[in-house]
Amino acid sequence: MDAESDTKPSWADQVELGEDDTLPPPHEDFDENKGTKTITEIKFNDDGKKVKIVKTYKIETRKVSKSIARRKTLKKFGAASGDPPGPNPANTYISEDVFFQFVRNMEHRADDEDDPLSKLKNHKMVSCRICKGDHWTTRCPYKDTLAPIQDALDGDKKKEEVPEETQETPASSAPSRPGKYVPPNLRDGGNRRGETMTPGRNRDDTATIRVTNLSEDTRETDLQELFRPFGSIARIYLAKDKNTGQSKGFAFINFHRKEDAERAIAGVSGFGYDHLILNVEWAKPSGNQ
Amino acid sequence: MGLGKKWKPLMLHGHERAVTQIKYNREGDLLFSSAKDQQPNVWYSLNGERLGTYKGHTGAVWCIDVDWETDKLLTGSADNTCKLWDCKTGVALLELGTESAVRTCGFSYDGNLIMFTTDKAMGRECELRVYDTRDEYQIKKNSPMWLEPQPKHKITSAVWGPLGQMIITGHENGDLCQWDIKTKDMNTRAMDHSKQINDIQFNRDMTMLITASKDTTAKLFDTETLELKKNYKTERPVNSAAISPIKPHVVLGGGQEAMDVTTTSTRIGKFDARFYHMVFEEEFGRIKGHFGPINSVAFHPNGEEYSSGGEDGYIRVHTFDKDYFDFEFEY
Repeated sequence: MDAESDTKPSWADQVELGEDDTLPPPHEDFDENKGTKTITEIKFNDDGKKVKIVKTYKIETRKVSKSIARRKTLKKFGAASGDPPGPNPANTYISEDVFFQFVRNMEHRADDEDDPLSKLKNHKMVSCRICKGDHWTTRCPYKDTLAPIQDALDGDKKKEEVPEETQETPASSAPSRPGKYVPPNLRDGGNRRGETMTPGRNRDDTATIRVTNLSEDTRETDLQELFRPFGSIARIYLAKDKNTGQSKGFAFINFHRKEDAERAIAGVSGFGYDHLILNVEWAKPSGNQ
Repeated sequence: MGLGKKWKPLMLHGHERAVTQIKYNREGDLLFSSAKDQQPNVWYSLNGERLGTYKGHTGAVWCIDVDWETDKLLTGSADNTCKLWDCKTGVALLELGTESAVRTCGFSYDGNLIMFTTDKAMGRECELRVYDTRDEYQIKKNSPMWLEPQPKHKITSAVWGPLGQMIITGHENGDLCQWDIKTKDMNTRAMDHSKQINDIQFNRDMTMLITASKDTTAKLFDTETLELKKNYKTERPVNSAAISPIKPHVVLGGGQEAMDVTTTSTRIGKFDARFYHMVFEEEFGRIKGHFGPINSVAFHPNGEEYSSGGEDGYIRVHTFDKDYFDFEFEY
């Protein structure tokens, strides 16, 4: 009785054991013309589904030195001692595709101090017609975005610049030349202590504008480029989707000065940017403050 | 920037923890790897088949070296031992105990002398030790033929010079020293690096060596004079650097320090291997793949393949394609 049940389990046992026993053994095919070996295996995957695994190996014959050939016949040892001949798929597998990226001068040129052109940068040899920077107009970073706006604004700017300078010069003892570094304590208003620590100062909503109808691909740097010409920017907040990181279509720009913000509203509102018409207005004070 | 053809590197996953060093044997048919888990591995470099593991260490294995004939293997571990193995069977032949972790090890050219250095830890000084494996007295009594304490700056990498006449050590302060094996004196010293030297590798004829340093550069030195020849700049610590045996190329592997990895994404972690032109010091290519810093890179002795082992525990074996060999540096 015992012997019989060993050799031939009852059908009920077979059902309980599952179909593991009925899996066909791995099948090996060798194609001599192509020099490939194909191993076909049928297995259960983690979900309990039957899967067919086909592994194709290329069989190559190589001529090598005797010492290498001898080493090729070595018996596996250590943790690999139980492995079948050939690579063990648990340890050796082919990775996803990678590219060999050919790069040229990607990160070195930027900080190249010896560039003769960069030395000339400080001397104002050329002046951009768009942003008054020291580059050719055709190379202006705002060429595509701001040329029309700037034309309209040029008149206002000149008017504004004059009173600014008259305000600043009496306050600072040394005549401040443009472009020269002035330490913060010597700047205009530097003797007023603790000013920056005043609460609410950093989040001054009065010089904040809200930009809406931005395209999804907009980045902070785009906004910076767009609004920098109007005056110095304290903070840019671009609302982004948490998951995708794409813009939600609106942003807040804090300018240091209210006049800059005013000009930005006048200049960019209704401006076509990335196939959309921008809408710029004063930001409403946020409710939770 | 152009995209080359797709490569399909082999991934060798025999280690459960960060790979610390990989080395090809002289003929390049075998690739040895050590990791912070306790078993060094050996692989067939052609198909990535694992030949075996060396069982016996009880701590992280920091360094590995194989002799000229692929007969013996030397490993140094944080379990305060340096072990000598039979390459082909995985049997431990010798064990040399120390008082602190073994950081670097190496066979001399003839395979008779072995060198290793220990960490400055547990109140022990860093030491450079040289043994003659033929002398039973030295092995049994554990009394090295040369013991050189390094009281100031610990050794972080060391290699044997050409023909076993010198030992070159890289220190944690960036010093590179050349020691004469006969007079047991320091010949020359180069102080070009500002931070610890993680790796030293030779070119094919051992006339030049490349150092990889935490100061984000790799530098090429003349072996004989330790004169600084070339400087390869990156913007991250370099853990390992290797010189191609057939082309004027060097490959640099590195990335942020392991402790900072969890706080940065793979994209900005800069874990790619970077290829520089040896003479012009300019980068011309990179290969992504690892998702942790690369700890060790090695060229196959025939120059047609290179491997990298990373903090992620994987070894990636890359075979160069035609595009790589056709590539000519424009100058």
